[in-house]
Amino acid sequence: MSIALSALPISMRRIEKRFGSVPVLRDLNLDVEAGEFLTLLGPSGSGKTTLLMILAGFVRANGGSIKVGGDEIIATPPHKRNIGMVFQNYALFPHMNVSHNIAFALKQRRVPARETAERVEKALDMVKLGGLGERRVDQLSGGQRQRVALARAIVFEPRIVLMDEPLSALDKGLREHMQIELRALHRRLGMTTVYVTHDQREAITMSDRIAVMNAGRIEQLDKPETLYAAPKTQFVAGFIGESNFVPVESRNGSVWYEDRKIRTATPAPAAGQHLMVVRPETLRLVANDEPGDSVNVLDATVGDIIYQGDSFVCYVSLRDGRQLTLRDYCRSDVLARMPAPGQPIRLGLDARDTILVAAEG
Amino acid sequence: MNRIRNVSIVTIAGLMATVAVPAIAADTITVASWGGTYQEAQTKAFFDPAAAALGITIKQDTTNGLDDVRLQVTGNAVKWDITELGADECARGSKEGLFEKLDYGVIDKSGINPKLVHDDWVGISYTSVVLIYRTDVFGDKGPKTWADFWNVEKFPGRRALSSSQSTETLSVAALASGLPIDKVYPVDIDGALKSVDKIRGHVDAWWTSGAQAMQLVKDGEVDMASIWNGRAGTLKKEGAPVSFSFDQGVLTADCMVIPKGAKNKEAAMKALAMFVSPQLQANLPLYVDNGPVNEKAFETGKIPPERIKDINSAPENVKKQVLQDAEFWRDNLVEATEKFNNLIQQ
Amino acid sequence: MSAQSTLVNDTADATGRDLNARALRADARREELRLLALLSPSLLLVFAIIIVPVGWLFWLSLFDETGALSASNYARFFEQASYVRTFITTFKVAFIVTGACVLLGYPLAYMLSQLPRRAASICLIFVILPFWTSVLVRTYAWLVILQRKGLINSWLIDLGVISQPLPLANNLSGVVIGMTHILLPFLVLPLYASMKTIDTDCLRAGMNLGAGPVATFRQIFFPLSLPGLASGVVIVFVLCLGFFVTPALMGGGKVIMWAMRMEQTTSLYSNWGAGAALGVVLLAVTLALLGLFQWLLGARATGVWSSR
Repeated sequence: MSIALSALPISMRRIEKRFGSVPVLRDLNLDVEAGEFLTLLGPSGSGKTTLLMILAGFVRANGGSIKVGGDEIIATPPHKRNIGMVFQNYALFPHMNVSHNIAFALKQRRVPARETAERVEKALDMVKLGGLGERRVDQLSGGQRQRVALARAIVFEPRIVLMDEPLSALDKGLREHMQIELRALHRRLGMTTVYVTHDQREAITMSDRIAVMNAGRIEQLDKPETLYAAPKTQFVAGFIGESNFVPVESRNGSVWYEDRKIRTATPAPAAGQHLMVVRPETLRLVANDEPGDSVNVLDATVGDIIYQGDSFVCYVSLRDGRQLTLRDYCRSDVLARMPAPGQPIRLGLDARDTILVAAEG
Repeated sequence: MNRIRNVSIVTIAGLMATVAVPAIAADTITVASWGGTYQEAQTKAFFDPAAAALGITIKQDTTNGLDDVRLQVTGNAVKWDITELGADECARGSKEGLFEKLDYGVIDKSGINPKLVHDDWVGISYTSVVLIYRTDVFGDKGPKTWADFWNVEKFPGRRALSSSQSTETLSVAALASGLPIDKVYPVDIDGALKSVDKIRGHVDAWWTSGAQAMQLVKDGEVDMASIWNGRAGTLKKEGAPVSFSFDQGVLTADCMVIPKGAKNKEAAMKALAMFVSPQLQANLPLYVDNGPVNEKAFETGKIPPERIKDINSAPENVKKQVLQDAEFWRDNLVEATEKFNNLIQQ
Repeated sequence: MSAQSTLVNDTADATGRDLNARALRADARREELRLLALLSPSLLLVFAIIIVPVGWLFWLSLFDETGALSASNYARFFEQASYVRTFITTFKVAFIVTGACVLLGYPLAYMLSQLPRRAASICLIFVILPFWTSVLVRTYAWLVILQRKGLINSWLIDLGVISQPLPLANNLSGVVIGMTHILLPFLVLPLYASMKTIDTDCLRAGMNLGAGPVATFRQIFFPLSLPGLASGVVIVFVLCLGFFVTPALMGGGKVIMWAMRMEQTTSLYSNWGAGAALGVVLLAVTLALLGLFQWLLGARATGVWSSR
């Protein structure tokens, strides 16, 4: 016997939630594919936790539909939703030992004692806590509690597993380790998972797809690499990865920064003001005679240079005083050409790395 | 308070050095009584006139009874020169040696019932336990005797008796069993307890304080009760529909003593002599329903004739009542009370 | 800086020992002394107002009225049936009142704990409000409400619900009502405080794992509220054992509790030992009960729930 999680798709339509007159979720639509690891990413107040609570049934939406594998659950009480959940602070039952915590859901489902014991054992092994079943919860470390919470959420083979910033209470090393383990577990069990975090690195590391949320709406839903490489809004570009924005103008089918034409891999957007998203790692120092047709060149002055061991960060100012950041690895060829602060330089930006987004208010 | 304590300390030091008590200390004595309206009446009747006549200052305090005296005397911290007690407490305290001998050369005992004149205590006033009933329930055909009170068929209704004053309730029970007034003492305790046993199932409340007895009757919680005449008189004055008489009353004396080791014994003796004198005794019923202990008070002419019939210790009324025998209860209180408690708590 | 260098010099000659060991030990001792100095007023206070009087009480209880060493003060409990009865009554009342406080107080505390903070603090004021009036006043107020011609009986008779007044005062029910009212806050406050600390996520987790509202309450909320309930129950129970005013006024002399008996006995007997013995017995039984309770709770917390 093993833990077999059915992978069901979730389909959310026109979810509305207001706290008093304050809208928290606005006409939200989201499809989670069966077996997918989907992350809701956003700053605090973006509505991601509220959406998760609505999914779990702890918060009642003002309107909308949630279908899991075709069944409408929006009005189903939480204890009948058959959804596993890992809470931010684990929410383990302090008056029960590890085994009883994990067995809780099975007990509610009147699973025979013998089978319960086997499944609890199995779940404990799965989260590498074999033999710790008799421990009291307060005798566990943070990472162990995290694993118990995880085992408790999956032992009853729920249709969906929800995780609300489950790693935020762990220290950095453990967090990164658990990210990998969670991901591996997901790959092994294949359950549909909705994960909430405000940590974009964590989201990128773990997710099949990420829904970036802002002010109660989904700004962009894409694979991590697409989100990074092709953010559709200034918010997404700013939230995922590090970005500098340079105002550009589109006119007559071309994009212009001041008097310089900007080459892009995509056709020029509609006429008007836009922002060029400049990632620090896509900028590089170029020699005067180097650039080819596919590279945009910007003139700048060197500010501070910060040495970080494997890499360095160089702050530069464009002619209009706008600050950009350049990051590169400390290869000897780069170091050899390292300019001194105050020195004028030229920056190269490959046309394929040139991202344009609409300027937001 | 502090001044008294300071004076006391000086006095103790003086006594220990067998030096004469400073004359100045004798100018002030402290008298303790029960407080409330009773003590206010005593102040007007006894304390103020005595203080004026003797040229001393009488300070006042309140007492909870024999326990307080015992605490002061055994603790060598006597702060009172005279204190009031119930007669049975006086008898018990006397046996325990808690009081100074009284000087009947100073105190004139004539006119006081000899049963209340002792080596170290003397009566001061009378209280009666009387039968009260509500006229809104019984009209004027209420229970008149304790036998009536015990007759639950003829006089249905709710009843209250005292549990804290076990000796008074036992006397009442003896009367209820049909004993004539002069045959109650010495109380046949077992007989009285049998009588209590007959009524206890019909007692709706056992009171432990005068205020409680009054409240029970006033609020109609009970229809008849044993009650102290002072409380009964107050109820009547307040206009409550009640009736009571001194027939088969149980007359209980209060007494005064000088606690052993009192600082101002001589002045206290003089003051006490004045308190029991007919002139001052006659003042008491002018202010309160507690009767004078000195029967010569009724000959002073101070008490209006129409008032006399309402005073429990007026010669006419004394004849109708049983006087509680303090010395009998001194010897039987503990045993009787324990048995009484056993019985009413069954 | 200079202090540090002197320290190093100081122990430079003491070879083979920890560096600055002497100075560090002295510092540790100073810290202990400071702690002791801070504790001493409270220790003195405990000694003066608890240990000494209780010891004296115990000492007194060993002597009879003649001043001779004797067990008569304790033997009396067995000779006189009324003492045993008083003892039983005291515990009976304490159990009933504690039970009534739990029945009324638990839902109240639960409701308070579920209210928004503002509403809860307003309601808490109402819970605490009775503390500001004297027990005597409140007891008399209950008498006015409960007695034969009191508010409740008058209303019920006027409404035609009953024809004869209910016996609410001057008996056990009067005592229980009066005491429950006075003691309820002592149960509600610790219970509310402990309910407030229960993590709402634990309850959500319970529901999420398939437990309905009732099962979640029974299996999670209730067990987690037990420590608060236990301390409330202990406080109320112990306070009950020593109650005087309310049973004296509301019991109509028919509910004699231990404290009332102490008062009676103290004035009845000429030796303090008689009353002192009652005090000693009550203290001993109370301590024994507390110990039992502690033991039960301890066993629960470590044993029952963690073993299968």
